[in-house]
Amino acid sequence: MTEARPLLEVRDVSKSFFEDSKEFKVLDGIRFDVRDRDFVCVVGSSGCGKSTLLRVIVGLEPPTAGDVRFEGQPIRADNPQVAMVFQSFALFPWLTAEQNIELGLEARPISPEARRARAAKYVDAVGLTGFENAYPRELSGGMKQRVGLARALAIEPDLLCMDEPFYALDTLTAQSLRDEILQLWGDPALPPRAVLMVTHSIEEAVYLADRVIVLSDRPGRVLAERRIDLPRPRNRKEPEFYGWVDELYSLIV
Amino acid sequence: MSNIGKDDVARNPLMGTSKGAPGPRSPPDMAVISRVSISQIVGLVESIDEVGGQADIATIAQEVDMDLDRLGPVVDAAEFLGLLNVVDGDLRVNDLSRRVLTSRVKERKAIIRDIIEDVPVFRQVTTLVRAAGRPLERKEVLATLSTHVGGHHAEDFFKALVYWGRYVELVRYDSETEQVSLREPSP
Repeated sequence: MTEARPLLEVRDVSKSFFEDSKEFKVLDGIRFDVRDRDFVCVVGSSGCGKSTLLRVIVGLEPPTAGDVRFEGQPIRADNPQVAMVFQSFALFPWLTAEQNIELGLEARPISPEARRARAAKYVDAVGLTGFENAYPRELSGGMKQRVGLARALAIEPDLLCMDEPFYALDTLTAQSLRDEILQLWGDPALPPRAVLMVTHSIEEAVYLADRVIVLSDRPGRVLAERRIDLPRPRNRKEPEFYGWVDELYSLIV
Repeated sequence: MSNIGKDDVARNPLMGTSKGAPGPRSPPDMAVISRVSISQIVGLVESIDEVGGQADIATIAQEVDMDLDRLGPVVDAAEFLGLLNVVDGDLRVNDLSRRVLTSRVKERKAIIRDIIEDVPVFRQVTTLVRAAGRPLERKEVLATLSTHVGGHHAEDFFKALVYWGRYVELVRYDSETEQVSLREPSP
Protein backbone atom coordinates (compact mmCIF):
# COMPACT_ATOMS: atom_id res chain seq x y z
CA MET A 1 0.00 0.00 0.00
CA THR A 2 1.39 3.39 -0.90
CA GLU A 3 0.79 6.20 1.54
CA ALA A 4 -0.51 9.54 0.36
CA ARG A 5 2.14 12.21 -0.06
CA PRO A 6 2.65 14.20 3.18
CA LEU A 7 1.28 17.72 3.26
CA LEU A 8 4.59 19.05 4.50
CA GLU A 9 8.02 17.52 4.12
CA VAL A 10 10.95 18.92 6.08
CA ARG A 11 14.07 17.42 4.57
CA ASP A 12 17.42 17.63 6.38
CA VAL A 13 17.01 21.31 7.13
CA SER A 14 20.02 23.06 8.63
CA LYS A 15 20.27 26.74 9.37
CA SER A 16 23.29 28.79 10.37
CA PHE A 17 23.75 32.46 11.05
CA PHE A 18 27.07 34.10 10.30
CA GLU A 19 28.65 36.87 12.31
CA ASP A 20 32.20 38.16 11.82
CA SER A 21 32.78 35.17 9.55
CA LYS A 22 31.94 32.87 12.47
CA GLU A 23 29.21 30.31 11.97
CA PHE A 24 26.41 29.85 14.51
CA LYS A 25 24.56 26.68 13.75
CA VAL A 26 20.94 26.89 14.90
CA LEU A 27 19.35 23.87 13.23
CA ASP A 28 21.02 20.66 12.22
CA GLY A 29 19.55 18.15 9.79
CA ILE A 30 15.90 18.43 10.81
CA ARG A 31 13.72 15.90 9.09
CA PHE A 32 10.02 15.11 9.59
CA ASP A 33 6.66 15.05 7.82
CA VAL A 34 3.27 16.52 8.59
CA ARG A 35 0.34 14.60 7.17
CA ASP A 36 -3.35 15.25 6.72
CA ARG A 37 -5.22 15.52 10.07
CA ASP A 38 -1.94 15.70 12.01
CA PHE A 39 -1.63 18.00 15.01
CA VAL A 40 2.13 18.17 15.46
CA CYS A 41 3.96 19.95 18.27
CA VAL A 42 7.68 20.67 18.13
CA VAL A 43 9.08 21.08 21.66
CA GLY A 44 12.45 22.28 22.79
CA SER A 45 13.96 24.57 25.38
CA SER A 46 14.23 28.26 24.60
CA GLY A 47 16.96 29.08 22.15
CA CYS A 48 16.92 25.64 20.53
CA GLY A 49 15.96 27.15 17.20
CA LYS A 50 12.33 26.07 17.06
CA SER A 51 11.01 29.50 16.06
CA THR A 52 13.69 29.69 13.37
CA LEU A 53 12.55 26.26 12.20
CA LEU A 54 9.01 27.55 11.86
CA ARG A 55 10.20 30.59 9.91
CA VAL A 56 12.08 28.32 7.53
CA ILE A 57 9.06 26.04 7.17
CA VAL A 58 6.74 28.88 6.17
CA GLY A 59 9.35 30.24 3.77
CA LEU A 60 10.20 33.42 5.66
CA GLU A 61 13.85 32.37 5.86
CA PRO A 62 15.85 30.15 3.52
CA PRO A 63 17.53 27.09 5.03
CA THR A 64 21.33 26.89 4.83
CA ALA A 65 20.96 23.30 3.69
CA GLY A 66 18.06 20.96 3.00
CA ASP A 67 14.61 21.89 1.80
CA VAL A 68 10.96 22.21 2.73
CA ARG A 69 8.21 20.99 0.45
CA PHE A 70 4.53 21.69 0.64
CA GLU A 71 2.42 19.20 -1.31
CA GLY A 72 5.60 18.20 -3.08
CA GLN A 73 6.52 21.76 -4.16
CA PRO A 74 9.26 23.94 -2.65
CA ILE A 75 7.72 26.21 -0.01
CA ARG A 76 7.16 29.91 -0.82
CA ALA A 77 6.57 32.71 1.65
CA ASP A 78 3.44 33.78 -0.22
CA ASN A 79 1.91 30.30 -0.16
CA PRO A 80 -1.79 30.96 0.52
CA GLN A 81 -2.28 27.46 1.94
CA VAL A 82 -0.12 28.17 4.98
CA ALA A 83 -1.04 30.61 7.75
CA MET A 84 0.75 31.65 10.91
CA VAL A 85 -0.26 32.60 14.44
CA PHE A 86 2.34 34.60 16.35
CA GLN A 87 3.36 34.63 19.99
CA SER A 88 3.09 38.42 20.10
CA PHE A 89 -0.33 38.49 18.32
CA ALA A 90 1.02 40.91 15.64
CA LEU A 91 -2.11 43.07 15.48
CA PHE A 92 -2.35 46.59 14.13
CA PRO A 93 -3.44 48.80 17.05
CA TRP A 94 -5.25 51.30 14.83
CA LEU A 95 -7.49 48.67 13.25
CA THR A 96 -10.51 47.01 14.85
CA ALA A 97 -10.59 43.25 15.44
CA GLU A 98 -12.57 42.74 12.25
CA GLN A 99 -10.31 45.00 10.19
CA ASN A 100 -7.25 43.14 11.46
CA ILE A 101 -8.81 39.88 10.32
CA GLU A 102 -9.87 41.24 6.93
CA LEU A 103 -6.39 42.58 6.34
CA GLY A 104 -5.11 39.03 5.97
CA LEU A 105 -7.50 38.61 3.06
CA GLU A 106 -6.69 41.84 1.25
CA ALA A 107 -4.35 40.24 -1.25
CA ARG A 108 -6.94 37.59 -2.13
CA PRO A 109 -8.96 37.79 -5.31
CA ILE A 110 -12.30 38.05 -3.51
CA SER A 111 -14.86 40.83 -3.40
CA PRO A 112 -15.09 43.14 -0.37
CA GLU A 113 -18.47 41.58 0.51
CA ALA A 114 -17.05 38.06 0.38
CA ARG A 115 -14.10 39.23 2.45
CA ARG A 116 -16.42 40.65 5.10
CA ALA A 117 -18.51 37.47 5.16
CA ARG A 118 -15.37 35.36 5.46
CA ALA A 119 -14.06 37.46 8.34
CA ALA A 120 -17.45 37.29 10.09
CA LYS A 121 -17.48 33.50 9.81
CA TYR A 122 -14.17 33.16 11.61
CA VAL A 123 -14.91 35.90 14.12
CA ASP A 124 -17.83 33.73 15.13
CA ALA A 125 -15.89 30.46 15.05
CA VAL A 126 -13.27 31.68 17.53
CA GLY A 127 -15.83 33.30 19.84
CA LEU A 128 -14.97 36.90 18.98
CA THR A 129 -18.51 37.91 18.07
CA GLY A 130 -19.27 40.99 20.12
CA PHE A 131 -15.74 42.36 19.74
CA GLU A 132 -15.82 43.02 15.98
CA ASN A 133 -15.49 46.77 16.39
CA ALA A 134 -13.17 46.66 19.41
CA TYR A 135 -9.59 47.89 19.07
CA PRO A 136 -6.71 45.74 20.34
CA ARG A 137 -6.28 48.04 23.38
CA GLU A 138 -9.82 47.10 24.45
CA LEU A 139 -9.05 43.38 24.29
CA SER A 140 -7.53 41.00 26.84
CA GLY A 141 -4.56 38.91 25.78
CA GLY A 142 -6.80 35.93 25.15
CA MET A 143 -9.07 37.96 22.90
CA LYS A 144 -6.09 39.40 21.03
CA GLN A 145 -4.84 35.92 20.30
CA ARG A 146 -8.32 34.95 19.11
CA VAL A 147 -8.03 37.77 16.58
CA GLY A 148 -4.67 36.35 15.50
CA LEU A 149 -6.24 32.92 15.18
CA ALA A 150 -9.27 34.17 13.24
CA ARG A 151 -6.99 36.09 10.88
CA ALA A 152 -5.01 32.92 10.19
CA LEU A 153 -8.12 30.72 9.80
CA ALA A 154 -9.85 33.23 7.51
CA ILE A 155 -7.17 32.50 4.92
CA GLU A 156 -8.60 28.95 5.02
CA PRO A 157 -5.14 27.42 5.08
CA ASP A 158 -4.32 23.74 4.72
CA LEU A 159 -1.52 24.07 7.25
CA LEU A 160 -1.80 26.27 10.33
CA CYS A 161 1.52 27.13 11.95
CA MET A 162 1.60 28.50 15.48
CA ASP A 163 4.65 29.95 17.21
CA GLU A 164 4.21 29.69 21.00
CA PRO A 165 0.65 31.02 20.69
CA PHE A 166 -0.05 30.82 24.45
CA TYR A 167 3.26 32.15 25.68
CA ALA A 168 2.12 35.73 26.29
CA LEU A 169 -1.05 34.65 28.13
CA ASP A 170 -1.62 33.88 31.79
CA THR A 171 -2.02 30.17 32.53
CA LEU A 172 -5.80 30.32 33.01
CA THR A 173 -6.44 32.11 29.73
CA ALA A 174 -3.99 29.81 27.98
CA GLN A 175 -5.81 26.72 29.19
CA SER A 176 -9.24 27.83 28.00
CA LEU A 177 -7.81 28.94 24.66
CA ARG A 178 -6.08 25.57 24.21
CA ASP A 179 -9.42 23.87 24.71
CA GLU A 180 -11.12 26.16 22.23
CA ILE A 181 -8.44 25.43 19.66
CA LEU A 182 -9.03 21.70 20.14
CA GLN A 183 -12.77 22.27 19.68
CA LEU A 184 -12.08 24.08 16.40
CA TRP A 185 -9.67 21.37 15.35
CA GLY A 186 -12.32 18.75 16.06
CA ASP A 187 -14.73 20.43 13.64
CA PRO A 188 -14.11 18.86 10.22
CA ALA A 189 -16.02 21.68 8.51
CA LEU A 190 -13.29 24.15 9.43
CA PRO A 191 -9.73 24.50 8.10
CA PRO A 192 -6.88 23.64 8.46
CA ARG A 193 -5.99 20.10 7.39
CA ALA A 194 -3.01 20.03 9.73
CA VAL A 195 -1.46 22.04 12.56
CA LEU A 196 2.22 22.54 13.30
CA MET A 197 2.93 24.30 16.56
CA VAL A 198 6.16 25.05 18.39
CA THR A 199 6.24 25.33 22.15
CA HIS A 200 8.70 25.18 25.03
CA SER A 201 6.12 23.38 27.19
CA ILE A 202 6.14 19.59 27.13
CA GLU A 203 2.87 19.50 29.04
CA GLU A 204 1.25 21.70 26.47
CA ALA A 205 2.54 19.51 23.64
CA VAL A 206 1.22 16.33 25.28
CA TYR A 207 -2.11 18.04 25.94
CA LEU A 208 -2.59 19.12 22.34
CA ALA A 209 -0.67 17.00 19.89
CA ASP A 210 -1.14 13.77 17.98
CA ARG A 211 2.59 13.74 17.45
CA VAL A 212 5.40 15.42 19.38
CA ILE A 213 8.82 16.13 17.92
CA VAL A 214 11.50 16.80 20.52
CA LEU A 215 14.41 19.05 19.61
CA SER A 216 17.80 19.13 21.34
CA ASP A 217 19.46 22.30 22.60
CA ARG A 218 21.22 24.42 20.01
CA PRO A 219 21.93 23.42 17.40
CA GLY A 220 18.44 21.92 17.25
CA ARG A 221 18.36 18.28 16.17
CA VAL A 222 15.41 15.91 16.27
CA LEU A 223 15.93 13.83 19.42
CA ALA A 224 12.72 11.85 19.19
CA GLU A 225 9.33 11.67 17.63
CA ARG A 226 6.40 10.23 19.58
CA ARG A 227 2.77 9.58 18.75
CA ILE A 228 0.55 10.56 21.69
CA ASP A 229 -2.35 8.15 21.50
CA LEU A 230 -4.31 9.43 24.51
CA PRO A 231 -8.00 10.06 23.86
CA ARG A 232 -9.28 13.65 24.04
CA PRO A 233 -10.18 15.52 26.13
CA ARG A 234 -6.98 14.73 27.99
CA ASN A 235 -6.70 15.10 31.72
CA ARG A 236 -3.39 16.50 32.87
CA LYS A 237 -3.76 14.72 36.20
CA GLU A 238 -4.01 11.20 34.83
CA PRO A 239 -1.05 8.84 35.15
CA GLU A 240 -0.98 8.10 31.42
CA PHE A 241 -0.68 11.81 30.71
CA TYR A 242 2.11 12.17 33.21
CA GLY A 243 3.84 9.12 31.84
CA TRP A 244 4.15 10.88 28.50
CA VAL A 245 5.32 14.14 30.05
CA ASP A 246 7.99 12.31 32.08
CA GLU A 247 9.21 10.37 29.09
CA LEU A 248 9.62 13.48 26.97
CA TYR A 249 11.33 15.36 29.82
CA SER A 250 13.84 12.56 30.19
CA LEU A 251 14.75 13.00 26.52
CA ILE A 252 15.55 16.68 26.92
CA VAL A 253 17.55 16.63 30.16
CA MET B 1 -32.86 29.03 29.84
CA SER B 2 -33.49 32.08 31.96
CA ASN B 3 -33.70 30.15 35.21
CA ILE B 4 -30.20 28.75 35.01
CA GLY B 5 -28.27 28.68 38.19
CA LYS B 6 -30.73 30.53 40.38
CA ASP B 7 -29.49 28.54 43.37
CA ASP B 8 -25.91 29.43 42.71
CA VAL B 9 -26.79 33.03 42.05
CA ALA B 10 -28.81 33.33 45.23
CA ARG B 11 -25.74 32.80 47.40
CA ASN B 12 -24.12 35.96 46.22
CA PRO B 13 -25.25 39.09 48.02
CA LEU B 14 -24.65 41.36 45.04
CA MET B 15 -26.72 39.17 42.78
CA GLY B 16 -29.67 40.34 44.84
CA THR B 17 -32.04 37.40 44.65
CA SER B 18 -31.74 36.57 48.33
CA LYS B 19 -32.45 40.09 49.43
CA GLY B 20 -31.61 40.96 52.99
CA ALA B 21 -29.75 37.74 53.75
CA PRO B 22 -26.37 38.61 55.20
CA GLY B 23 -23.63 37.54 52.82
CA PRO B 24 -20.86 35.38 54.23
CA ARG B 25 -18.22 37.59 52.60
CA SER B 26 -17.87 41.27 51.94
CA PRO B 27 -19.04 42.40 48.49
CA PRO B 28 -16.40 41.81 45.83
CA ASP B 29 -14.22 44.64 44.66
CA MET B 30 -15.58 45.41 41.20
CA ALA B 31 -12.54 47.49 40.24
CA VAL B 32 -10.48 44.31 40.39
CA ILE B 33 -13.14 41.90 39.14
CA SER B 34 -13.95 43.91 36.05
CA ARG B 35 -10.47 43.20 34.68
CA VAL B 36 -11.00 39.45 34.78
CA SER B 37 -11.90 37.84 31.47
CA ILE B 38 -14.40 35.03 30.97
CA SER B 39 -11.53 32.91 29.60
CA GLN B 40 -9.70 33.22 32.91
CA ILE B 41 -12.83 32.20 34.80
CA VAL B 42 -13.32 29.17 32.58
CA GLY B 43 -9.62 28.30 32.94
CA LEU B 44 -9.93 28.48 36.72
CA VAL B 45 -13.04 26.32 36.83
CA GLU B 46 -11.34 23.77 34.61
CA SER B 47 -8.25 23.58 36.80
CA ILE B 48 -10.42 22.98 39.87
CA ASP B 49 -12.39 20.35 38.00
CA GLU B 50 -9.16 18.60 37.06
CA VAL B 51 -8.12 18.13 40.66
CA GLY B 52 -11.48 16.61 41.57
CA GLY B 53 -13.81 19.59 41.67
CA GLN B 54 -12.74 20.99 45.02
CA ALA B 55 -9.52 22.49 46.34
CA ASP B 56 -8.24 25.29 48.53
CA ILE B 57 -7.01 28.41 46.82
CA ALA B 58 -3.35 27.78 47.68
CA THR B 59 -3.45 24.41 45.94
CA ILE B 60 -4.99 25.94 42.85
CA ALA B 61 -2.49 28.81 42.86
CA GLN B 62 0.26 26.22 42.78
CA GLU B 63 -1.54 24.16 40.13
CA VAL B 64 -1.88 27.07 37.72
CA ASP B 65 1.37 28.74 38.74
CA MET B 66 -0.18 32.11 39.59
CA ASP B 67 0.33 34.05 42.79
CA LEU B 68 -2.64 34.79 45.03
CA ASP B 69 -2.70 38.48 44.12
CA ARG B 70 -3.49 37.58 40.55
CA LEU B 71 -5.64 34.53 41.24
CA GLY B 72 -7.82 36.19 43.89
CA PRO B 73 -9.70 38.47 41.48
CA VAL B 74 -10.42 35.53 39.17
CA VAL B 75 -11.87 33.60 42.11
CA ASP B 76 -13.99 36.62 43.10
CA ALA B 77 -15.23 37.11 39.56
CA ALA B 78 -16.11 33.42 39.18
CA GLU B 79 -17.97 33.53 42.48
CA PHE B 80 -19.71 36.76 41.54
CA LEU B 81 -21.05 35.09 38.39
CA GLY B 82 -22.09 31.99 40.33
CA LEU B 83 -19.62 29.74 38.53
CA LEU B 84 -17.82 28.80 41.70
CA ASN B 85 -18.78 28.25 45.32
CA VAL B 86 -16.39 29.24 48.06
CA VAL B 87 -17.06 27.19 51.18
CA ASP B 88 -14.75 27.33 54.22
CA GLY B 89 -11.86 28.47 52.07
CA ASP B 90 -12.40 25.70 49.54
CA LEU B 91 -13.19 26.44 45.91
CA ARG B 92 -15.87 24.15 44.50
CA VAL B 93 -17.20 23.73 41.01
CA ASN B 94 -21.00 23.52 40.75
CA ASP B 95 -23.57 22.26 38.25
CA LEU B 96 -23.48 25.52 36.34
CA SER B 97 -19.71 25.52 35.93
CA ARG B 98 -19.75 21.86 34.92
CA ARG B 99 -22.22 22.78 32.19
CA VAL B 100 -19.95 25.58 31.04
CA LEU B 101 -16.98 23.20 30.91
CA THR B 102 -18.72 20.63 28.76
CA SER B 103 -20.24 23.09 26.30
CA ARG B 104 -18.84 24.59 23.14
CA VAL B 105 -18.16 28.29 22.74
CA LYS B 106 -21.67 29.24 21.52
CA GLU B 107 -23.48 27.41 24.25
CA ARG B 108 -21.02 28.65 26.82
CA LYS B 109 -21.75 32.21 25.78
CA ALA B 110 -25.51 31.58 26.07
CA ILE B 111 -25.16 30.25 29.61
CA ILE B 112 -23.01 33.16 30.75
CA ARG B 113 -25.26 35.61 28.93
CA ASP B 114 -28.19 34.46 31.06
CA ILE B 115 -26.13 34.91 34.20
CA ILE B 116 -25.00 38.41 33.28
CA GLU B 117 -28.49 39.47 32.27
CA ASP B 118 -29.69 38.37 35.69
CA VAL B 119 -27.28 40.55 37.64
CA PRO B 120 -29.71 43.19 38.97
CA VAL B 121 -27.51 46.20 38.34
CA PHE B 122 -26.79 45.10 34.78
CA ARG B 123 -30.49 44.47 34.28
CA GLN B 124 -31.17 48.09 35.22
CA VAL B 125 -29.00 49.17 32.33
CA THR B 126 -30.37 46.76 29.74
CA THR B 127 -33.94 47.65 30.70
CA LEU B 128 -33.12 51.31 30.30
CA VAL B 129 -31.55 50.84 26.87
CA ARG B 130 -34.53 48.79 25.73
CA ALA B 131 -36.97 51.40 26.97
CA ALA B 132 -35.03 54.21 25.30
CA GLY B 133 -35.19 52.47 21.95
CA ARG B 134 -31.86 54.05 20.98
CA PRO B 135 -28.22 53.60 21.91
CA LEU B 136 -27.34 55.25 25.21
CA GLU B 137 -24.40 57.52 25.81
CA ARG B 138 -21.72 56.23 28.13
CA LYS B 139 -22.55 59.12 30.47
CA GLU B 140 -26.20 58.11 30.68
CA VAL B 141 -25.27 54.55 31.54
CA LEU B 142 -22.79 55.71 34.17
CA ALA B 143 -25.49 57.90 35.72
CA THR B 144 -27.82 54.90 36.03
CA LEU B 145 -25.09 52.74 37.48
CA SER B 146 -24.22 55.50 39.97
CA THR B 147 -27.70 55.45 41.45
CA HIS B 148 -27.35 51.72 42.11
CA VAL B 149 -23.74 51.19 43.10
CA GLY B 150 -22.54 54.70 43.92
CA GLY B 151 -20.53 57.12 41.85
CA HIS B 152 -17.08 55.77 42.51
CA HIS B 153 -18.03 52.18 41.58
CA ALA B 154 -20.03 53.08 38.47
CA GLU B 155 -16.99 53.13 36.18
CA ASP B 156 -15.95 49.62 37.27
CA PHE B 157 -19.41 48.18 36.72
CA PHE B 158 -19.51 49.88 33.34
CA LYS B 159 -16.21 48.24 32.40
CA ALA B 160 -17.48 44.83 33.47
CA LEU B 161 -20.79 45.27 31.66
CA VAL B 162 -19.07 46.25 28.42
CA TYR B 163 -16.33 43.66 28.65
CA TRP B 164 -18.41 40.66 29.64
CA GLY B 165 -21.49 41.94 27.83
CA ARG B 166 -19.58 42.06 24.57
CA TYR B 167 -18.26 38.53 25.03
CA VAL B 168 -21.72 37.07 25.62
CA GLU B 169 -23.21 39.12 22.78
CA LEU B 170 -25.55 41.06 25.02
CA VAL B 171 -24.05 44.51 24.64
CA ARG B 172 -22.56 46.47 21.78
CA TYR B 173 -20.18 49.28 22.61
CA ASP B 174 -18.53 51.69 20.21
CA SER B 175 -15.51 53.21 21.91
CA GLU B 176 -15.32 55.99 19.29
CA THR B 177 -18.86 57.30 19.74
CA GLU B 178 -19.04 56.00 23.34
CA GLN B 179 -22.48 54.54 22.73
CA VAL B 180 -23.95 51.46 24.35
CA SER B 181 -26.62 49.40 22.62
CA LEU B 182 -28.03 45.90 22.96
CA ARG B 183 -27.66 43.08 20.53
CA GLU B 184 -29.14 39.71 19.79
CA PRO B 185 -26.71 36.80 19.83
CA SER B 186 -25.60 35.65 16.39
CA PRO B 187 -27.44 32.55 15.14
